[in-house]
Amino acid sequence: MTDGDYDYLIKLLALGDSGVGKTTFLYRYTDNKFNPKFITTVGIDFREKRLVYPVRGSNNTTGKNIKVHLQLWDTAGQERFRSLTTAFFRDAMGFLLIFDLTSQQSFLNVRNWMSQLQANAYCENPDIVLIGNKADLGDQREVQEKEARELADKYGIPYFETSAATGSEIDSSVVALLDLIMKRMDQCVDKSQIPDSVNGGASKKLEDETPDENKCAC
Amino acid sequence: MAKEMVNLSFLTEKEKEEILSVLFRDEELRKVEEKRIRRLKNELLEIRRKGAKRGSQDYSDKTCARCQETLGRIMKSGNACRQCNHLVCKACRVLEEGGRWKCTVCVKEGKLKKKTGDWFFECRASRYANDFGSDIIRASLKRKHEVPYTVLMLFNTNWCTIMGSDCTEGFRKECAFSFPERLALLGREGAGVLNQNYPTSTIVLDFQKVFDKECATCQEDNKTVYLNVSNSFCPTQDVRSNSRVTVDEGGSENLFKKNAKSILKPTDYSKSVLDLRSGDSGVDGRSMGDRSRSVPGLNVEQVSDEEEEEDIDQLVTIHRLANARQSLKSAGSASTIGSMMSIYSEAGDYGNVAVTGEIVFTMNYDQNKQMLNVYVKECHNLAYGDESKKRSNPYVKTYLLPDRSRQGKRKTIIKRNTTDPIYNENLKYDISESQLIMRTLQLSVWHHDRFGRNVFLGEVDLSLDIWNFNSQLEECLPLHARSITELKCHSKECCKATQSVKEGGELQVWIKEAKNLTPMKVGGTSDTFVKGYLLPFKTKTSKRKTPVMKKTLNPHYNHTFVYSEVKPEDLQHICLELTIWDREALSSNDFLGGVRLGIGNGMSNGKRVDWMDSVGEEVNIWQRMTQYPGSWVEGTLLLRPKMGERN
Repeated sequence: MTDGDYDYLIKLLALGDSGVGKTTFLYRYTDNKFNPKFITTVGIDFREKRLVYPVRGSNNTTGKNIKVHLQLWDTAGQERFRSLTTAFFRDAMGFLLIFDLTSQQSFLNVRNWMSQLQANAYCENPDIVLIGNKADLGDQREVQEKEARELADKYGIPYFETSAATGSEIDSSVVALLDLIMKRMDQCVDKSQIPDSVNGGASKKLEDETPDENKCAC
Repeated sequence: MAKEMVNLSFLTEKEKEEILSVLFRDEELRKVEEKRIRRLKNELLEIRRKGAKRGSQDYSDKTCARCQETLGRIMKSGNACRQCNHLVCKACRVLEEGGRWKCTVCVKEGKLKKKTGDWFFECRASRYANDFGSDIIRASLKRKHEVPYTVLMLFNTNWCTIMGSDCTEGFRKECAFSFPERLALLGREGAGVLNQNYPTSTIVLDFQKVFDKECATCQEDNKTVYLNVSNSFCPTQDVRSNSRVTVDEGGSENLFKKNAKSILKPTDYSKSVLDLRSGDSGVDGRSMGDRSRSVPGLNVEQVSDEEEEEDIDQLVTIHRLANARQSLKSAGSASTIGSMMSIYSEAGDYGNVAVTGEIVFTMNYDQNKQMLNVYVKECHNLAYGDESKKRSNPYVKTYLLPDRSRQGKRKTIIKRNTTDPIYNENLKYDISESQLIMRTLQLSVWHHDRFGRNVFLGEVDLSLDIWNFNSQLEECLPLHARSITELKCHSKECCKATQSVKEGGELQVWIKEAKNLTPMKVGGTSDTFVKGYLLPFKTKTSKRKTPVMKKTLNPHYNHTFVYSEVKPEDLQHICLELTIWDREALSSNDFLGGVRLGIGNGMSNGKRVDWMDSVGEEVNIWQRMTQYPGSWVEGTLLLRPKMGERN
């Protein structure tokens, strides 16, 4: 699988409480299969997937396709592995923050995970999507969509309700994260070259074009 | 190199194995990625080279900066690229969304930045050093993976040494010791490494091959044995934060009345070692006083001199030597010790020996252990280090350039009075494969002189990116003298400088950034600055410095050096020397690399000079600058790992 024939290597990382379904989420995403058994992840793992990412133009004209190799890090949710898992945060370009829609506690812990990310990711405000998993278990639901969406809005990140069991919204949540990363990539590249002091006009124009969305200063 | 460590002692053996297998898969993926990136980076360098005019639009010629087509005043007038500000003709533009455009070179650069993931690593660099999370975890796992720690102690009248259990076979020599009561607490067995080349009364331990972290020194002083764990070497977070373990600088200063020496590198820290230190800083001398007195004719000072001389064989000035001792005394950090052997000062310390002979060795890389083994077999037909006595006491020293820190040094034992020494020694390096391919193995042979300076007998440099590790064949390579034309440094280090000569005869150098510098400080970072001289004037008036960029290996300096009254015709005779240094507050700074920009013809004002030695891109930039007076010329240069001769 890894033959170097790809354009981008994008590294994502799934995090969240133990048992929210990070591993099954990734398994569904990469292999389109579901394993209902709960096997706790030992510290760290990763899965890989190739996909073709279409570069969308401004008016939805499909441009060139980009071959992306995804490395999807799966982390243990258990507290005892925390020191190990956080060491991997720094290498991920985007994060899938997953909680369990049938567990209020896992939702409450989203705030903790957010601060973990702020402290340990490659920059203070990395790209994240919030994911409420196990949407198929409607009768056991403890977290309402509204409150989850409010929290996501507060952080300014997209929110998805997914089900690894049915596969619903799995792909779209990952693609949403990829979109964010691609956008940031463009901004970084646009900004980074020649912080020109000679020509004020040009650099000002640049600033205007990339509204400051609290992106990292690169 | 000092690495960040994570305490993973809570993991079971089975868990560790599982995690290691995940890390192994990751390493495989990274290898593929590294290869891909290297390909792309070469492409990028090529493009940079082609894009001659960069960075500013105020150059006199009305030509397109890309295709050099002449631009008209009204027709075909050209416009400034919004990224690089160069005037560019219509043909050299790439349209983007919303009618905006950039010039071809900027577009290509941007594309490559995305493809290589540089956009990400640039962001990440402001927070983290180079180390990947998986490398940190692997390193942390390894430490805990080793055989249960047995403290091995060698105690003699002067030096007491403590070490971990991971001895290199062949160096290990079982010795029986009767420990003084308290010190015995430390060790469950007595064993040590004897360097047989020293008189038995002064057993000096050479643990360089054995350990990867420096940790403990011990010294008898007025019949009292002090054990010191120098805090700067404690690699794990938990050890460092444990105040019982660490010794503050002041405290250790008091302990060390004489030079601290034999700084050892145990693989792990035993609680018992530390407890001894904290529980009772001084071990009662009476218990072993007899022993110490039983060995006559011990000359402590001499031994330490010798050892230091050996370690700092690149040291040039007495002043530096004094400084270095100072820092040793205060149980300095890894970096201060590294600084004693500034590469910069290596110049001029090479004696006048005509290099002869060859070195025989094999090299292999153990992927499971992530370890490079350099098996030094023997040398043939070496030159005499001491011409008058027709003697040589040769030993082999290795570095994985650009790392020249003490931690990166490995040595064989010294063979006495021979020009055909047989070593059969394995020198090991703990290093990941992706790091390895960016290094250059330097094998140098030195004559050990007990009383004077060690003498350089020759060296071999090998770029490891092209090395075939599958071949187990013995290599027999001729030694060569240290050449003035520097070896190419295969690390990714770059220094970006933009420079121009303004019309009034002013040379401006805009130091933008450096990348992937060698970490010199604990935690894998460096505090760096750039120093500039306009040779031949190596004086205060030509010295320029950037501010220090703290805790980053990818500093952005964005600082401009201005040299006024430089006439265009002077450019043929001067050379801009830029060097990057890691700042050390209490001792001399560490040299990290440098470049010299000039025409590189070896001449200045009709005289032959060593410093006019620019090559390749260094010359290229200078020439481009000469060609386009008044415009900025931008370049990215590989740093030289050392600067060679000057004067």
